[in-house]
Amino acid sequence: MNSFARWAAVARRELSSALRRPSYWFLFGILVLVAWGFSTGNVRISSGDATVGGERAHITSVFAQSMFQSVLITAMGAWFLAIGAGLVLIRDAEHRVGEILHSTRLTVREYVWGSFVGAAVAFLVIWGLYLGLAAGFNHILATGEDARHIGPFAAGSYLYPALLLGLPQIVFFAGVPFFLGAWTRRPIVVFAFPVAVLLVVLGFLVSWSPSWLDPAINRALMFVDPSGFRWLDETFLKLDRGVDFYNTARLPLDTGFLLSRIMLAAVGLLAVEGAARNTARRLLHGDTDSLVVGFRRGRRNQVPSVEAVSKPASPGTTLGELGMRTTPLGFLAAARTIGRAEIRELIVRPGIYLFVPLILYQSVSQSLFALGPFDAPLLVTAGAMAARQFNTLSLLVCVLLMFYAVESLMKERAQRFADIYRAMPVHTGAMLLGKAAGNVAVAGLVLGTGLVASWAVITVRQLLGNPVGFDLWPFLAAWGGVMVPTFVFWTAFVTAAFALVRNRYAVYGLGLAILIYTVFEMNVGEPLSWVTNWIAWNSLVFWSDMGAFSLHGRALLLNRLLYLSLVPLLLVLALRWFGRQEFDAIRILHRLRPRALLRSGLLLLPFAVPPLVLASALFFGGRAGYEGPDAEEARKDYWRRNVATWTDFRMPSVSHVELDVDLEPGERSASVSGAYTFFNHREAPYSRLPITAGPWEPIEWTLDGEPHEPDDRSGLFVFTRDEPLAPGGSLTVGFRYDLQRLRGLSTRIGGSGQFILDSGIVLSAFGPTFVPVPGYLPELGVDEDNRYDEREYPDDFYVGETEPALGWGGRPFTTRIRITVPEEYTANSVGRLVSEEIREGRRTVVWESDHPVRLFNIVAGRYAVAEGRGTAIYYHPEHDYNVEEMSSALDAAREHYSEWFHPFPWERLKVSEFPAYAGYAQGFPTNITFSEGIGFLTKSDPRSHAAFAVVAHEAAHQWWGNILTQGRGPGGTMLSEGMAQYATILLHEEVYGDRYRIEFTKRIEDSYGNGRFVDTERSLVKTDGSRQGDNTVFYDKGGWVMWMLQQEMGRENLLAGLRAFIDLYHSNSDFPVVQDMLAVLRDFAPDPEAFDAFTAQWFFDVVVPEYRLSGVSKERGGRGWVVRGTMENVGTARMRVEIAATANERWFDRGDAGGRTVASPSHLDARTWVELDAGESADFQVLADFDPERIVVDPDVLVLQLRREGAVFDFPEQP
Amino acid sequence: MLEIRTLVKVYPGPVAALQGVSLEASRGMLGLLGPNGAGKTTLMRIVAGLLEPTSGAVYFDGEDVAGDPRRIRRKLGYLPQHFGFYPHLAGAAMLRFLLVLKGVHAPQGVKRLADELLERVNLRDAARRKVGTWSGGMRQRLGVAQALAGDPRIVVVDEPTAGLDPEERLRFYRLLAEVAEDRLVLLSTHIVEDISVLCPRVVVLTGGRIVADTTPRRARARLEGAIFEGAVEKDRMADLADRCEVTQAVLIEGRNRVRVHVPDGAPPEGFEPVAPSLEDAYLLLTRNRGAENGVAPPAGAERVAP
Repeated sequence: MNSFARWAAVARRELSSALRRPSYWFLFGILVLVAWGFSTGNVRISSGDATVGGERAHITSVFAQSMFQSVLITAMGAWFLAIGAGLVLIRDAEHRVGEILHSTRLTVREYVWGSFVGAAVAFLVIWGLYLGLAAGFNHILATGEDARHIGPFAAGSYLYPALLLGLPQIVFFAGVPFFLGAWTRRPIVVFAFPVAVLLVVLGFLVSWSPSWLDPAINRALMFVDPSGFRWLDETFLKLDRGVDFYNTARLPLDTGFLLSRIMLAAVGLLAVEGAARNTARRLLHGDTDSLVVGFRRGRRNQVPSVEAVSKPASPGTTLGELGMRTTPLGFLAAARTIGRAEIRELIVRPGIYLFVPLILYQSVSQSLFALGPFDAPLLVTAGAMAARQFNTLSLLVCVLLMFYAVESLMKERAQRFADIYRAMPVHTGAMLLGKAAGNVAVAGLVLGTGLVASWAVITVRQLLGNPVGFDLWPFLAAWGGVMVPTFVFWTAFVTAAFALVRNRYAVYGLGLAILIYTVFEMNVGEPLSWVTNWIAWNSLVFWSDMGAFSLHGRALLLNRLLYLSLVPLLLVLALRWFGRQEFDAIRILHRLRPRALLRSGLLLLPFAVPPLVLASALFFGGRAGYEGPDAEEARKDYWRRNVATWTDFRMPSVSHVELDVDLEPGERSASVSGAYTFFNHREAPYSRLPITAGPWEPIEWTLDGEPHEPDDRSGLFVFTRDEPLAPGGSLTVGFRYDLQRLRGLSTRIGGSGQFILDSGIVLSAFGPTFVPVPGYLPELGVDEDNRYDEREYPDDFYVGETEPALGWGGRPFTTRIRITVPEEYTANSVGRLVSEEIREGRRTVVWESDHPVRLFNIVAGRYAVAEGRGTAIYYHPEHDYNVEEMSSALDAAREHYSEWFHPFPWERLKVSEFPAYAGYAQGFPTNITFSEGIGFLTKSDPRSHAAFAVVAHEAAHQWWGNILTQGRGPGGTMLSEGMAQYATILLHEEVYGDRYRIEFTKRIEDSYGNGRFVDTERSLVKTDGSRQGDNTVFYDKGGWVMWMLQQEMGRENLLAGLRAFIDLYHSNSDFPVVQDMLAVLRDFAPDPEAFDAFTAQWFFDVVVPEYRLSGVSKERGGRGWVVRGTMENVGTARMRVEIAATANERWFDRGDAGGRTVASPSHLDARTWVELDAGESADFQVLADFDPERIVVDPDVLVLQLRREGAVFDFPEQP
Repeated sequence: MLEIRTLVKVYPGPVAALQGVSLEASRGMLGLLGPNGAGKTTLMRIVAGLLEPTSGAVYFDGEDVAGDPRRIRRKLGYLPQHFGFYPHLAGAAMLRFLLVLKGVHAPQGVKRLADELLERVNLRDAARRKVGTWSGGMRQRLGVAQALAGDPRIVVVDEPTAGLDPEERLRFYRLLAEVAEDRLVLLSTHIVEDISVLCPRVVVLTGGRIVADTTPRRARARLEGAIFEGAVEKDRMADLADRCEVTQAVLIEGRNRVRVHVPDGAPPEGFEPVAPSLEDAYLLLTRNRGAENGVAPPAGAERVAP
C-alpha cells in the first residue's frame, strides 16, 4: 500500500465516521430549513421594488448567493467544523488508537492530513447537499405567481460563491480548530475558536463601518474578514446599485480579495501542517499531554528519579492500623465536593480565560455603541447597559454552558475514570448537581466579570465627564432575575439531553440547532411566544429606567417560572437516563412498552404539572389579552363590516372636545367621560355620523345630552338623528366608559405605542385607544392578509380640497381636558394648565387649549420639570443628563421658528418623557412626547449636539404638522418631516454656527445615501411612504433639498415664502402638499426660471450628483500655487458646486465656546466652481497664495451628493 | 453475603456474555478465573452496579443490588480492569477527592489518611505530581489504594495485578489478603498465580458459564497422579496431542517441555509423574468445560439462546 492509499484510507475512515455523526445531521436539518426559508424570498438583497408587481432582487443571483453563503458558513459552519474537525485528534487520543495506528506503516503526516481531509470533506458533502437543496427549493418548488425573487437557474451562481467565499472559509474554520485540538487536546479551547470568530467577524468585521473610516483601513478589514461579507457589502451592497445590477451582473474578481481568500485557505492548511508536526513531536517524545500542560509541568514539577518513586514503602503497617471508617456523604455535601472539584478544574483550564474576555468584549462593546432615532448615539445608563448586553450574554453563556456541561459529563468517560467514579457511594443527583453547579459557577463568573466590567466602563466614562453613574439594581434584576433562570434551565436541559443520548456530538448538534433556530426566529422569522421563548430573547429590548418590566413584567415572570419549573422535570429525567448503570438493551425495549411508558409518565406527572400549569397560564392569558386572537378578530370585524361603506366618508368638524379622564396606572385602567361637539362646516347635511370606539364595554352614549344607542357596527358606532345635521349646525355626542390599556398578558415580546402603566402614561387621540375617534379609520384591522395596494394618485390630486394627513378632519377645535392621576404623577395635555388640585392622594389637572388644535394627547409620569422661556421639559428625575441642552433647544426653537415660519400661537411648549416601551417622539400641539431613548438618553457632546438636534426636529413639528398640517397624499409627509429637518439645519446654523450645521447636514446626507433604494425612489412630489426607503426621502432628502433651495432663492426670500405659505394654509380646510408650497414659494424666487429648473430636478425628478476628482496636481506659479485637476459628476443632477484648495484645520475645538463654531485663524482656502451635468467632467484650476494641502469639493456642504468622501483629494505630505 | 442468581447478560450483537451464572459467597477471597471473553468483567461490573443484567438477580446482604445499585455502592471497593483518573490532579489530591466522595474518614484526617494510603502502595514520592504524568503501574496502584480505602464490605477487583511489577504485585497480595480477612473480595483474573496465592476458593468461568467452583487445592487434588511431564521433539507434538491431553508445552532449546493429562495413569514413554498445578486444572477446565474432568458446573447455569 503506497502513501497515497494509506492517506486515502484514513480520510475515508474519517469521512465515513463524520457523516454518521449526529451533529452533521443536525446541521443538515438546519440547512434544509434555511434553504426553504431563503426560497420564500423573505431574506434578499435590499434593493428593488417591494410593491406588488415590482421587480425584486433575485435570491438566485450570484450576489445573493454570495451574501447567504458567506454569512451562513461563518455563523453556522464555524461551529460544526470546530466540532467536526477540532475533535478528531482529541477523540483518537481518548480512544488511545494513536500508538496502534502509528505502529503500522502509516506516517504521522498521512494520519493527520487524512483525518483532516475526511473531516473537512464531510462538511463539504453537507454543504453540497445544501446547495443542491437550495437550488431545488428555489427553481423547482418556489416558482409560480409569487416567484419574482427567483431568477433563471445558473449553476455558477451557487458554485462560484461556494468556491470563492465558501471553500477558503471551510479550510480555515476546519484547519485552525484541528490544530488547536492537536496542540492542546482540550475540547474547550477548540470551541473557543468559533466563539472568537463569531464575535470578531459578526460583531465587528461585518458590521463596523463608520462613515469616517479610512478607505485603506476599510479595505484591509475586508481582506481579513474570513466570511468575505465585508468585501461584498462594502463593494457592492452597501450603496444600492439597483436591482438590475444584482440580478444580471457577474461578481467581478478582485485581485486583492482573491489573494486574501488564498491566504485564508493557506492559514487553514498551515494549521493542519502544524497539527501534523505537533502530533509527530508527541509520538517522538512520548508526550501525551498538551504542550501547555507539558510546559507548565516542566516548570513546576520536577520529575523525581526512578529510585525515589520506587523506593519501598515502610513495611509492617497494615490497612487496619489506619482506622478507616466510611460514612456516606450527604446529598449536598457530595454535590459541594463535586462542584468544588469542577470549579477547580475549570479555573486551571485555559478555556475560561479565552471565553470570558471574548464574551465580555462582545457584550460590553455592543452595549456602548447603540444608536437611537436619527442615528443619534445613546447614553449608557446602568439599565441600558444591563439590557443591551442581555441577548448577547444569554446566547454566548448558553453556548459556553453547553460545551462545559457536555465536556464535564463526558470527562470521566474520556479519562477512563467513569467506572470508579460511578461506583462511588454518592447520589446520582448529587453528581449531576455538583457538575451543574460547577458549570453555573462559570456563568456566574461571566456575569460577575461582566458586572465589574460594566461598573468599570461606566465609572471611567463618568470620570471622563459622562454624566451617567452606576446602579446595581438593573443588573440584579435583568441578569439575576431574568438571565440566571435561563442558565439553570439550559444546564438542566443539556444534562438531560446528554443523559438520554450519551453522545457529545448529538448534544452539540441538538443544542446548536436550538440556539440557531431561536435566534433566527426571533430576528428574522416569527418571534417566539412567551411560552416558547426559553432564553427570554429580546425580553429586555424594551428596558425602561422609568419602570423596568412594567409592560411585560407579569408575562416575563410567568415565562421565567415556567422554565424554572421545567428544571426539576429535566433533572428527574436526567437521573433516570443518566448512564451510571449501563442499561440493558433488552430491558430498554421492555421499558418502551406502552404500559411501562404509561407508568413512567404517571410517575413524572407531578413534575410535569407545574410547567403545564404555567404554560397554560401564559398561552391562554396571552390569547385573552390585548394581542390575542379575539382582539385581532374584533379589529378585523371592524374592517370587514365598514370598509366598503365608510372609507371615503368625510366627517364634519369637531369644534370642541370636553374630556374627563381618571387614570389608575397601577391597574392600567381609566374611567373616561366626555363629549364632542360636531360642527357641520360642509355644504351638505349629515343624516348619519360614524364614530370609532375601542373595546370598551359598556359605553354609555348620549346625543345632544340624551341617552342614545347608536348602531354598533363592530366598533364603528353610527349615530342617526331624526333631523340631519344641517350645514352650519352643531350636535354633541357624549360618552362614558371604563377601559384597560393594556388588558391581560402579551403573547410575545413587543412594544406598545400607547399605554397606561405604572412607569408612565402616554395616550393619543390618533386612534381609539382612550377616546372615540370621529369617523371610520381605514387602517384599523388591516394586516398582511387584507392589506391592499397603496392608492395611485393622479398628478393633480391635490387640486381642490385635500384631507389632512394627520389629526381629525375638518377645522381645528378647542379642548378642555380634565385628568386625574395619583398625586405623585404629573399629567400633561394640550393647551395651558388652568387648574390643579390635590385631594385624597389624587391630583386633578385641567388643560384648556388656548388656541385651536387638530389633535390632543395625554402624557403622565413621576416627573421633575425644567422650566425655560415659555417652555418646559418634564423628565424622569434620573434622566437629567441632557435636560439643559434640550431646554435651550426648545427655547431656541420656539424663538427662532416663531420668527422664521409663524408666531407660536400657544402660551407654553412642553416636552414630556415616557418609558421606552415605545420608541417615538410625537409633536402634539404644545405637548410633545419623547420616548426616553430620544433626547433624554441621547449621548450628546459639543460636536454632535444630538439632543439639540432631536428637540429641534420635534419642536419644528409645532409649525410643520400642527400650525400647518399637511395634506394626505404624495408630497404631504415631506411638509412635516422634511421641513422639520430643514428647520433643524437652520437652528444648528443659528445657535452653533457653520461647523455644526455642516456636521448635521453631512450626517443626514449619509443617512440618505445609505437608506435610499435606487430602484424604488420617487421624486419628492410622488413619495407617499408606501415604499422602502421613502422615509429617508421625506426626512433627509426633503430637509436637504429645502436647504439647497435656500441657496437658490436666498435665505430671506425662502423664509418669507414659507411664512406666506403657512399663513395661507394654517386654518384652511384644504390641506397642502409640496406642490402647493412650491406654488407659493415661486412668487418669492428672485429668478423664477432658475427656481423652476431647480424644482424640476429636485422636487419632480430623482437626481443626486456624485463627484470624483482626478489628475489633481499643484505647482508653484507666479505669487502662489496653481492647482489643476479634473472633476466628473458620475451621478445625476446639474448643480453649481465649489471646489476649494485648503490648508490647515478649518475649525477650533474650544471648550469655552459653548459648543459654537470657532473658525481657525490659520485656515487658508481658495476656491473656484464648476457646474456639471450628469456624466460630465471638466478641468478646473484654483489659484492659491498658499501651499494647498487638500482639495475639497463643496467645502461648505451646500449640494446634496453621494459618497462625499470620494470628492476629496489630499496632497501627499512634503518631506 | 453475595448471592448471584441465574445471571444472564446479552449485549447487542447479540453476544451472550453471561449464560445463567449463579454463585454464592460470604467472606474471604473468591477468585474468578477464566480466559478472555469468559464474562468475568461483565459479572464484576454487574456486581459493582455498573451494568444492568438482562435477567437474573444479584443480592448482597439480602439486598437486590442489580435492581438498585445504590445499595451496594456504600459497601463497595471497586477496581475496574481499565481506568484512569483526572490527569490534571496530583495523586494525593485525586485520592483525597475519592476518599471524600466515598465518605472515608479516619482519626488522622483525610489528608493524612490519603498520604498514608499512598505510602501503602508506594506512591508517597509521586503524591504531588499530576496523575497524568504517572506510569501505568503507578496509576494501577492508585486504583488499588482507592479500592481498598474505607471499610468496604465487598471488594471487587478486576485484573488488579496487570501492569504491576513483581514487587508491587507482592505488596498488593499482602494488602488484599489483609482486606479479605473479614470481608468478601471478588478477584477476577486470568493470571492463575494470583488465584493460587490468594484465593481459597476459585470459580472458573468460560463462555459465560461457570465450569468449576472449587478450591485450588481440590482442583489440584483431582488431578493427583494424572499429570506427567516430559520432553518431546517438535515433530512428535502432533502425535502426542492425538494420543493424550497436553496441558502445557514450553519450547526449550528446540525441544518441547510438555505436561500431559493422563487420567488412567499410563503416560507416554519418557514422561515422569509430577505434582499437578492449578494452571493444569484451569487449562483442562476451560478446555473441556469441567464436567468431563469431574468438576461439575453448578446447577442453574442454563444456556441462553442468542
